[in-house]
Amino acid sequence: MSEGKKNRRDFIKGSAAAGLTALISGTALSKSEVLAADGDNAKKALLMDNSLCIECQACRVACQNENEIDVEYSFIKFISNEVGEYPEVEYQLRRKSCMHCPDAPCIAACPVDALSEGKGQFTVIDAEECIVCGRCQEICPFEVPEMGEERMYKCDACQHLLAEDKEPACVNTCIAYALDFGDYEDMLEKGQERVDELKENHPEANLYTADYSEGEYGLLLILKTAPENLDLV
Amino acid sequence: MKLTRRNLLKKSGQLAGALALSLKGFNFFDWSAEAQEAEIEKAPTLCNTCGTQCGAWAYVKNGRVWKVEGHEEDGRSQGKLCARSHGGLRWVYDSDRIKEPLKRVGEEEFEPISWDQALDEIAEKLQDILHEYGPRTVGFGHYPRSTGTFYGERFMHALGVSTVCTHNTSCNAARNAGFINSMGGVPDADLANSKYVLMIGRNHGGGIRTDQMKKVSKALAGDTKIVCVDPRQNDIAKLADEWLPIVPGTDLALVLAISNYIIEEGLYDEEFVEEHAIGFEDYADNISRISPDWAEQITDIPADKIKEIAEELGGNRPQAIVHPSWGGAFGAVYANSDETARAVSCLNALLGNINQEGGLIFHPTPELGELDSDKHPAPEVPDTRRADGVGVMGEFPLAGDHGLPHYLMEKAKEGTFKSMFIRHHNPVRNFPDYDHMAEGFKSLELSVVFEINMTETAILADYILPECSFMEREEMISAVGGPKASIGMRTEVIPKVYEETKSFDEIIVELAERLDIGEYFNFTLDDLNEALLEPYDISLEEFKEKGSMLVDLEPPIGETDLNTRSGDFEFYSEVYEHAGRSAVVGWQPPAVGMNIEEDEFRFITGKEGFHSHTATANIPSLAQITKDYDTNRLWINSSVAEEMGIEDGDKVKVESSLAAREVRVKVTERIHPGTVFMPSGYGNRTPYYEKSQEIDTLNPNDLVPYRTSNISGHAMRQEALVTLEKV
Repeated sequence: MSEGKKNRRDFIKGSAAAGLTALISGTALSKSEVLAADGDNAKKALLMDNSLCIECQACRVACQNENEIDVEYSFIKFISNEVGEYPEVEYQLRRKSCMHCPDAPCIAACPVDALSEGKGQFTVIDAEECIVCGRCQEICPFEVPEMGEERMYKCDACQHLLAEDKEPACVNTCIAYALDFGDYEDMLEKGQERVDELKENHPEANLYTADYSEGEYGLLLILKTAPENLDLV
Repeated sequence: MKLTRRNLLKKSGQLAGALALSLKGFNFFDWSAEAQEAEIEKAPTLCNTCGTQCGAWAYVKNGRVWKVEGHEEDGRSQGKLCARSHGGLRWVYDSDRIKEPLKRVGEEEFEPISWDQALDEIAEKLQDILHEYGPRTVGFGHYPRSTGTFYGERFMHALGVSTVCTHNTSCNAARNAGFINSMGGVPDADLANSKYVLMIGRNHGGGIRTDQMKKVSKALAGDTKIVCVDPRQNDIAKLADEWLPIVPGTDLALVLAISNYIIEEGLYDEEFVEEHAIGFEDYADNISRISPDWAEQITDIPADKIKEIAEELGGNRPQAIVHPSWGGAFGAVYANSDETARAVSCLNALLGNINQEGGLIFHPTPELGELDSDKHPAPEVPDTRRADGVGVMGEFPLAGDHGLPHYLMEKAKEGTFKSMFIRHHNPVRNFPDYDHMAEGFKSLELSVVFEINMTETAILADYILPECSFMEREEMISAVGGPKASIGMRTEVIPKVYEETKSFDEIIVELAERLDIGEYFNFTLDDLNEALLEPYDISLEEFKEKGSMLVDLEPPIGETDLNTRSGDFEFYSEVYEHAGRSAVVGWQPPAVGMNIEEDEFRFITGKEGFHSHTATANIPSLAQITKDYDTNRLWINSSVAEEMGIEDGDKVKVESSLAAREVRVKVTERIHPGTVFMPSGYGNRTPYYEKSQEIDTLNPNDLVPYRTSNISGHAMRQEALVTLEKV
């Protein structure tokens, strides 16, 4: 197992505890946490049902248009895998994009404060501030940040749409109805229900990261297979 | 002048248009950064990146189309759009667009000419051909949607021309023939309410129709059991309950074996068969010797599995479906595709699922009004014999009025077919055997193409007439049926980007005037749309703001009258018998591949969800997907590759009876070992598609020879065997 994966596991396990410590010890709350406490910036989440995704890439291109990024960059990627032999072969898949970690390490690592917690408690980048130093890429447990010439590229859950009470572009366009968006608790419940259904035929089905961590991640992945099969721990 | 939203758009759009003209290297992203703060307008349209024509909202910033979103009140998109739709808006600003009328002056060499010159010359040459050789030597080919069908047919009919063709013989003509001639039409599959669905070759995740994909997703997420039969684990098979790989071209054996087993075991709907069908005995008798054991030898699907499918279909009927498919395994692919389609239709009849919830439903299509025929008389439908043999004894008596563009090219080469008008359709690239199609097209005395891009067909034409893109033109209102029925239209989202482009209806009207048939076009597009909208309580002005509108129609649950000659389901077809074809369905092998040599593979193809035929490989955002996921490769089974010493990413020479091409391979467990698969969206032969050259590779039509089925006349897109050699 690679060093990166070990770090990721430790990070996921540790993240809930860190959050708890912060609350108990009464350390300074970030502006968004204060907002959250007031109910103005409720925790939101994207829920991705990878068991329904046809990889049509509608989300990717809608996202590129919505966020006006060059087509060579994509906030949404896919990791896939074939398991077994013909004809008993299973195709496994997951979305690879910003997991919107609780206490995101990239926010802490960014030397110019280009990263912060935004609306819905998603991790947001201010592209104008970014100096492309690569520290966020180094520290990201999910290998998400993509370095361009002038900025780092990653999903911000379409902050400008959330501001208008709209859902992110990927959710809006998903023709396989594999994406959902809403309050974190609702998405968690929906995800868990779907995983319970999937377990009938796919005993390894799980809700990532909720099944592995108490930390609240802004992207929840419904997986048919164990996370390690899809480069996750 | 009153300042309206449209005027505002027009003004800013002219500015953007002028900019785009003067700055060839226009950078969308520099522009978009400046446009960040601009006011955003949205206008309704119908997407044009594939034939589904999804209702959409186009967002316009500083006069440029910025993004699209699905239109919630459209029966097709239902608020969702696929990657092609999001990518397709880049067509509008493609620097390679055709900007003015072009006349061919040499081999693929053109000079720009004025509209007057183009239309005068075309009218004169067409007049000469009609006069000298008659209307039987002229044809119109298009992708059939509202405006093209109405204006194109009316124009041709006024000239006495009956040969109007579509792309269907390279798409779903066999499927349509099999269903129409037994069930009276192609029904909608009520997947979400079904308990058991057998999908043979249909890949909803590749050949996307947005509303159908919604039902597939509901079925996948619900209690429906979905079993996919396909030589390749396609985009739905990889998510479904089961994937059953099959020998390509043998689906008919599977369907007949299931059907016979269902009959023998008494699992079929006796009441439906007795009350609402004709010819059951002849049909049952004709397939009585087709057993699961026999089919196992042909298909590679175990006999026990065939029995299990039959039992599950019979046990779950009428909430059980054998999917009517589209292109897939019996759209226009094998010599036996017409009969596979008819067998699938018959098997559904055995399940008694027609117009049953969870079965196959003939949803009505919303009504549209018509022009007042006293004020605007339509030309009579000419009784000219069709040039493509449709309805002609001894040629293609059973082929539908979709026509046979590939057969017309044979006639063009012979010199008996003289002129073809083509609109939004690329037969030269998208039918098997490029050389056959290209030579035929080049043999025409007058070829005219209405297009926005320099397609493979356009670059061989005598005249190219530039249309404005789908974002720049208003079109006729159209109606779509289905569980969610709707009517919709394109509106002028932005003004013309290139001043010297025109919409198809404008061009036809101007051409009609020159040919002295202007009397048939004595109305405006608004007059026409007002007439179409007449049954609805909404003004045209309001409808242009709305774009799409759902229409509530009752599904015909329980209806047993079918649109066949007899009104019943026809296991026995008098029409087929009269035309000298078998009145009941039976086994027929594919043209090639029943006995293959050790080193041969059956060659299959199919769509990827982010490309439309070869029309989108030049769209940067879609081409980038191909690059990022390295998808423009030939699929080959892992064990076979290992035996041959071929590794993932290696280049091989793939050779058919027609040609040899080099291509890189994708080594995978997800394909039948005797089969190779090539995605269909690549291999552009137009030098104008610069971006597509970065992902250029073989096109299946380079390897598949020209053939024509003797029922629907389809083009058998997968009748080819190939050998592979590592290079």
